[in-house]
Amino acid sequence: MIDFIQNTLDGLSVGASYALLGVGFTLIFGVLRRANLSYGPAIMLGVYLATWASFSSKGLLLLAAIAVAGTVLAGAYVERLCFAPHRRGPAVAAMAASFAVWMQLEELATLLLPRHLYSFPALYDGGPLAFGPFTARVESLVTLAAAVTVCAVVWKLLYATRFGIAVRAVIDDGRAAELSGINVGALSLRVFALASAIGGLTGFLIVSSHEQVTPMLGMWSTLKGMLAMMLGGLGSLPGAVAGGLALGLIEAHSQWYLGPQLRDFTAYLLLFALLAARPPWMNTRSAY
Amino acid sequence: MLHVQDLVTAYGKIEALKGVSLEVAQGSITCLLGPNGAGKTTLMMTIAGILKPKAGSVSFFDEKLSGLPPHAIVARGIALVPENRLVFPSMTVLENLHAGAYQRRDGVAEDIERLLRRFPRLKERAAQAAGTLSGGEQQMLAVARALMSRPKLLLMDEPSLGLAPLVVEEIFAIIGELHRDGTAIFLVEQNAHMALKVAQRFYLMEQGRVSFSGDPGSLAEDEVIRRAYLGSSRA
Amino acid sequence: MDEYAIGVLTNIGLLSFVAASAYLLLVAGELSFGQQGFFGVGAYTAAIATVMLGVALPVAIVIAMAFGAAAAALVGATTLRLRGLHFAMATLAAAEMLRILFELFHWQIEIGGELLGPDGTQGFRGIRWVFERGLEPLEFMLLVYGMLACVVFAFTLLERSKLGASIRALGEDPELAGMLGIDVVRLKLGVAAAAGALAALGGALFAHHNTYIEPRNFDIMLGVHSLAYALIGGLGTVFGPLLGVALDLGLLEGTRVFQGYRMIVFGGLVALLLAWRPRGLLDEHTVHWLRNRR
Repeated sequence: MIDFIQNTLDGLSVGASYALLGVGFTLIFGVLRRANLSYGPAIMLGVYLATWASFSSKGLLLLAAIAVAGTVLAGAYVERLCFAPHRRGPAVAAMAASFAVWMQLEELATLLLPRHLYSFPALYDGGPLAFGPFTARVESLVTLAAAVTVCAVVWKLLYATRFGIAVRAVIDDGRAAELSGINVGALSLRVFALASAIGGLTGFLIVSSHEQVTPMLGMWSTLKGMLAMMLGGLGSLPGAVAGGLALGLIEAHSQWYLGPQLRDFTAYLLLFALLAARPPWMNTRSAY
Repeated sequence: MLHVQDLVTAYGKIEALKGVSLEVAQGSITCLLGPNGAGKTTLMMTIAGILKPKAGSVSFFDEKLSGLPPHAIVARGIALVPENRLVFPSMTVLENLHAGAYQRRDGVAEDIERLLRRFPRLKERAAQAAGTLSGGEQQMLAVARALMSRPKLLLMDEPSLGLAPLVVEEIFAIIGELHRDGTAIFLVEQNAHMALKVAQRFYLMEQGRVSFSGDPGSLAEDEVIRRAYLGSSRA
Repeated sequence: MDEYAIGVLTNIGLLSFVAASAYLLLVAGELSFGQQGFFGVGAYTAAIATVMLGVALPVAIVIAMAFGAAAAALVGATTLRLRGLHFAMATLAAAEMLRILFELFHWQIEIGGELLGPDGTQGFRGIRWVFERGLEPLEFMLLVYGMLACVVFAFTLLERSKLGASIRALGEDPELAGMLGIDVVRLKLGVAAAAGALAALGGALFAHHNTYIEPRNFDIMLGVHSLAYALIGGLGTVFGPLLGVALDLGLLEGTRVFQGYRMIVFGGLVALLLAWRPRGLLDEHTVHWLRNRR
């Protein structure tokens, strides 16, 4: 029982970062109706820039800011090159372009820092906290807190600002939003920037919690973000959060009972089964 | 105020508008009739900026509009109430109205109050999600939302589609009110009978072209209605 | 011809099978991130057949294609009503599950004093059927291109046939296709199975060219790459995906230009190209124009 609860706690911590990645993915998908394969690589570039900066300065706030800024810049580049030209055209073209830029961004990052492993300043220098029989890493608590804060901020943006009304209008019906005078192109760029900022922050939290950076970060973030988004029902922000947390829980528990190799297998199997069964909350109407 | 000259709009190779020319005079109610597939919605979408024309021009107060994006067209004072309403289903009535006012900063709250007074049923449902409204209520919401941008010209694409006769009368009463307030209205309607009762001028479109124009009374009404529903090629 | 060139050309040929596999599905209106899974199925099946069961390569290829088709049909049957990104994610999940299964698959037998067979993440060594029979790299390359030519021939027949038109109709508008009397379910499954067999064919040849395969060969990158080749080369003809592969492997890697920042250049060019030509270089429009000029 204790193991179950501990695994649940660990799963929620990891799930928090998946949830954040899912939120970033869903913001872009909701507004643009397209999957952005360069989401992870943009985060990777931002994090790599921060890693490069960490050789000179170890200030965590500065590094976080660099990671966020780098990701936002990369994200804006992706939006202008891959998504803006295909707004009215075929969705696959945007996705193919985002794949091409994925390759670009990854190579750019590895040119900057060619090794397979870099250390990154730790988010917290002490050991895990103990609550009776359970332990929780401080880094995990910080990530959870960040996830909650980001969700609250996004919620406020969406429901209490003019920007939020425009975003939700575009998500509901892009054509009707255009007819209401909303500049969908400019809005897409702003949403991309927001999603990228969230991604950059998440990337920073991940690498500073693990104290290391590897080139796998790009693909890994894209994959986890997409999995979280799909598990929670495509296009729903609360769903992305639930999906991310669920993914974390599934991974933690299946790793405990089935071992590390079957951990990923279980997540994929669950996603496949859900997609095959098509429960109504998965929202499997046509979507690119 | 609105001049459409030889407008050609195509979907790939298929030309839906084959050279349309018409005018909407300031402050008037002009209606566009014609059978299904004539290109009426395509014309509305081209004027609103959703579709880009292949040739020809649209000008508004002597300014060329063709080629501008939809938000720029709204900024110049033209708003479209689209076919099928297209309200924002997950947003409340109030939020729908705010969306319509997106480009404005001033006087939005007063306008919302005014519109809710004019559409009491919307006021009752102000906090309800637009997707749960009835067809007639959604139509009123779509009109109110378009009015939030304070347009000088209101385009309406089939406002009476799928609505009960009592509701249709309400809609046309509102059209009459807007006319009295000075807003110009360009109306696409299947219900030729109701449309001709309010319009000062009408155009008949068939197969991508304007085939007839005039004021109500210049053609016998049943002749107009027959051509509006069936087209003149099928006598 | 020097060995490096032969190697590059052979790789172009091998990758063309997976790219053509992704292309076939795209034409039928489905986006697949998972064809690499069937490439892997073909590789492992053919390798087991020649190494551990003593089967000749041609027969091994046929077996591999059958397994590839079956696996693809199974995935296709469970994802029939999915479209767009949902279908793509389902194929991704399926391919990753296959890859993990390869990682867990251990079956080794002793042959001629050594232990051979798939060994999980350690891979499968010693797939030497081709080289044991004295086939030179050049001859193997010709074999690959010979099979590719057959595939291209089959595709060109398909393009001009009613079946081909049905597949394109399915891709453009499935509801309309159904109303026109096309059996959408059977066609989708048929296309899925054919694409799976095609990828498996490539995998079988790949295994015998490399003599060593491991699960990492069949990861997401391969799948996304194949899809990209099809999208970039164009969806108007089977030469589209082949062009895509040739451009990446041949022009850039083969000439060793832009060493070190090849992807930065290629990626940028591709994105710009797609902005200009959203359906790829050899899109339907271009192919139609090319055909009607003669």
